[in-house]
Amino acid sequence: MIGQASKRGKAWRVFFLALPLLLFLISLSIGSYAISPGGLYKTVISLFSPSSHPEVPDAYRDILLRIRLPRLLLAVAIGAALSVSGASLQALFKNPLVNEYILGISSGAAFGAALSLVFLGRAFPPQIGAFVFAFVAVGVVLLISGQAESHFISLLLTGIIVTAFFSALLSLVEFFASPYVLQALFFWLMGSLSLASWKDLAISLPLIAVGLILLFLLRWRLNVLSMSDEEARSLGVNVRREKMLVIAATTLITAAGTSIVGIIGWVGFIVPHFVRLMFGADNRLVIPMSAAMGASIMLVADDIIRGVSALEIPIGIFTSLVGIPIFLALLKKTKKVWL
Amino acid sequence: MSVRVVNLSFSYKNFTLKVEALKFESAKITAIVGPNGAGKTTFLKCIGAVLPASKGSLFIDGRDIMSLRSQERARLIGYVPQEHDTVFNYQVADFVLMGRAAYISPFALPSQEDIKAAEEALEFVGLSEYTGRSISELSSGERRLVLIARALAQKSAILLMDEPTTFLDPKHETEVLQLVRKLAIEKQKTILVTLHSLEMAVQYADSMVFMKNGEVVASGRPDEIFQEPLLESVYGMRMKILDWNGRKLVLR
Amino acid sequence: MNEIRPSSLRNAVVPWGIVPILLLAAAVFSWAARPGQKPGLRDTLGRNVAIPPRAERILSLQPEITRILIALGAGERLVGLDYFVKRNDHLFKIIFPEGAQLPVVSQPDESLNRELVVRLDPDVIFCSPTEQQVPDSIERSLGIPVAAVASMGRFDKLLEEIELVGALTGLEERAGELVRYFRRKVRFITDSVGPLPEEEKPVVYLAFWSSLVRTPVFYEPVDTAGGRNIAENLLPSFSGAIGTIVNLEQILKWDPEIILIHGNYLPGERQVTVEGVSSDARLRSVRAVRSKKVYYTFGFWYWWDPAGVLAETLYLARLFHPEKFGRLDLEKEGNAIFETFYRKKNIFSTLLKTLDFDDWTSL
Repeated sequence: MIGQASKRGKAWRVFFLALPLLLFLISLSIGSYAISPGGLYKTVISLFSPSSHPEVPDAYRDILLRIRLPRLLLAVAIGAALSVSGASLQALFKNPLVNEYILGISSGAAFGAALSLVFLGRAFPPQIGAFVFAFVAVGVVLLISGQAESHFISLLLTGIIVTAFFSALLSLVEFFASPYVLQALFFWLMGSLSLASWKDLAISLPLIAVGLILLFLLRWRLNVLSMSDEEARSLGVNVRREKMLVIAATTLITAAGTSIVGIIGWVGFIVPHFVRLMFGADNRLVIPMSAAMGASIMLVADDIIRGVSALEIPIGIFTSLVGIPIFLALLKKTKKVWL
Repeated sequence: MSVRVVNLSFSYKNFTLKVEALKFESAKITAIVGPNGAGKTTFLKCIGAVLPASKGSLFIDGRDIMSLRSQERARLIGYVPQEHDTVFNYQVADFVLMGRAAYISPFALPSQEDIKAAEEALEFVGLSEYTGRSISELSSGERRLVLIARALAQKSAILLMDEPTTFLDPKHETEVLQLVRKLAIEKQKTILVTLHSLEMAVQYADSMVFMKNGEVVASGRPDEIFQEPLLESVYGMRMKILDWNGRKLVLR
Repeated sequence: MNEIRPSSLRNAVVPWGIVPILLLAAAVFSWAARPGQKPGLRDTLGRNVAIPPRAERILSLQPEITRILIALGAGERLVGLDYFVKRNDHLFKIIFPEGAQLPVVSQPDESLNRELVVRLDPDVIFCSPTEQQVPDSIERSLGIPVAAVASMGRFDKLLEEIELVGALTGLEERAGELVRYFRRKVRFITDSVGPLPEEEKPVVYLAFWSSLVRTPVFYEPVDTAGGRNIAENLLPSFSGAIGTIVNLEQILKWDPEIILIHGNYLPGERQVTVEGVSSDARLRSVRAVRSKKVYYTFGFWYWWDPAGVLAETLYLARLFHPEKFGRLDLEKEGNAIFETFYRKKNIFSTLLKTLDFDDWTSL
């Protein structure tokens, strides 16, 4: 049976696809401001018909609608975006160690945000600058390495160089800025969902959705693209065009996400690994499963951060703390053939 | 499906490939032989548009396909590489399915027709039982068969195979070549194979092409051109051809 | 020739042998301890620093200490500065115009120009405790004592710093004057506020450092002015820091009566503003937002200015308890405080103008 998993696999697939929804509902009830499940239920009802539960305090509605809901949606979007990005780029680069920041997106975004904060001040949200320069960085990488035609090593190396370049530019910006202006930048760089608002989501969510849909549609194609360029070409694929499409889509979603929440590492690297371990390498499964699992992981991580204390550990630090040991464990278990 | 190469050339660093005129017979097996570095693989790759030829024409049934889009080209020419690096551990079935890429738009999923084509290809090479296995589990002989199955799924009239018997043990070597013959006879495919083994080439090919230093030195039916002087000039050493029960053996 | 029996030899050698060993040990220990002729200072990071009894050449990378030095009249002992006081401080040019000639020794990324430091040859270096490992590294490589000190939001620590710098520069008298003045002012404020039961102290949330969710875990001006910092005694983000990060829901849970926003930023640079917070839909159920009690306050500006923090405490006292401070002319009082510290007139007025203070409150 080609392309169909076993019965047992099917149950797991359904479970993991449904998991984000389940976690989402549970997460709605987690937070510093304690709202009982009953209170939560009444609040949801009162959102649809305001007159039904007048005893529900305004604060409940505000927390649910303006703090938890956007934050959880952001977590889902970011988790899915980074995981699918990572999985797609891993296929494209034929290397499961690749992550979504490989093309210099994170350093470009950091620089763009810093530039905006220092020179445009309050007038511009740093997200716009971050977004623009994330694209600039990727554009530079592609331009220099010759339009992703071949030699992925050169693409990787160029990515490293461009990353270093933008980091240097960032230091230059820091030089001209007062540390107090830069406080906002460093806070953002750590990667945090804490200030998620509908305004931010209104811009990023559609962009992430577009990119995700694109990559979802391309999911079978990624299998073919994960062959060597020569093989892919002989199979009838316009390699250059389709690679650019994938890179454009991943850049779009990574930049859109990073510009709001900062740099959240390791998710796009680890999630596809686990998915391949469980479901095999076929990207028809890997892509949607990565989205679901990425969303789940971000929700769980955010639940832990929000539920444990009043203090806010930036989620970027959290994922690094958890991600690095997992990465090392994976390295140890690795054989020649990756997953 | 007649295949004709005209004025094909390709340069890379110090090496130049130049083939002025060559014809490949339809539904027949043509073996391309020659010493290392003769340009056999390069030639094959140029025909398969895996490498971009700097100039030349490739006429298939009178039509120059050099400028075709790779999608259309893939429906005409299939290419079986010598080796495949397993980075991702696909299942055999999914791997063969990739051969259908020329028939599936980038944003679409394989259809039932595509799945059937892949299944049939696996059956033809004798690996129907292997659909659920991962390619890392296969022996190199089996992996070769899977690569051939993938090219088969492409349903192209022309098949290019780069050293399909290298690194295989004698039993698997024979299996693969018999499969190639089956492809030519049953499926009417025009097949170009590069082979390092002269004996295999003589045994299985309908037509042979000798290459040296990027050029075609001789081409024709084995019983016509497979002579000791030719071998000596191509390989630079004296060889003896022995005839044993109708089979040709080469001694060095 | 003498026949010495082994046991008596041992009895003779051992006690006599031990003495030179003990003497050697004593010499080694006292040699190792030699950098500290005085017991030394225990700085904010808990490090024992061997501060010299007197310092003629001081390198201050801690603006709080720099300002104290200038207030004491010891500005000429400064051999170098950090980038912040020269580039971003609102008042430095006024209180110490001679500072324009001083070299800048550190960069915003907190790297130090070590060669320059060596050439400047300071007797002691002050830096901020937020720099963590850097003080040790500088001490090790340059051999100059580095003290990481900051007030950490507390008046007693601030006054200790004034006394420390006074002792260091031989200006104990002037230091004592300023400390007594400071204490008098604080006492005046606490007396005017009077004893307050906890319920009457307004619950205050401080949104500092350009962020809604970053807040100082200790800010004494709020306490002195008769208010309660709701984030008091939470864990800071790291050792040597005074701030921590909370989440939005926590702020809603606390439901502060007053929100104070970090106002020392130049008006064009403020990321978090009174208008912004007042119109933030997520906070609309918070008491402070509903009753329109969202204000600016000065806040840290790379730690404190001793005059500035006094003025701020007065400002806050009037904000929290307007009925008790009705007759207070803040600008006049502020100028007087600054004049006492820096011996120049109208400094506070300049600060108020720089920060667009007229927009702050209608008080």
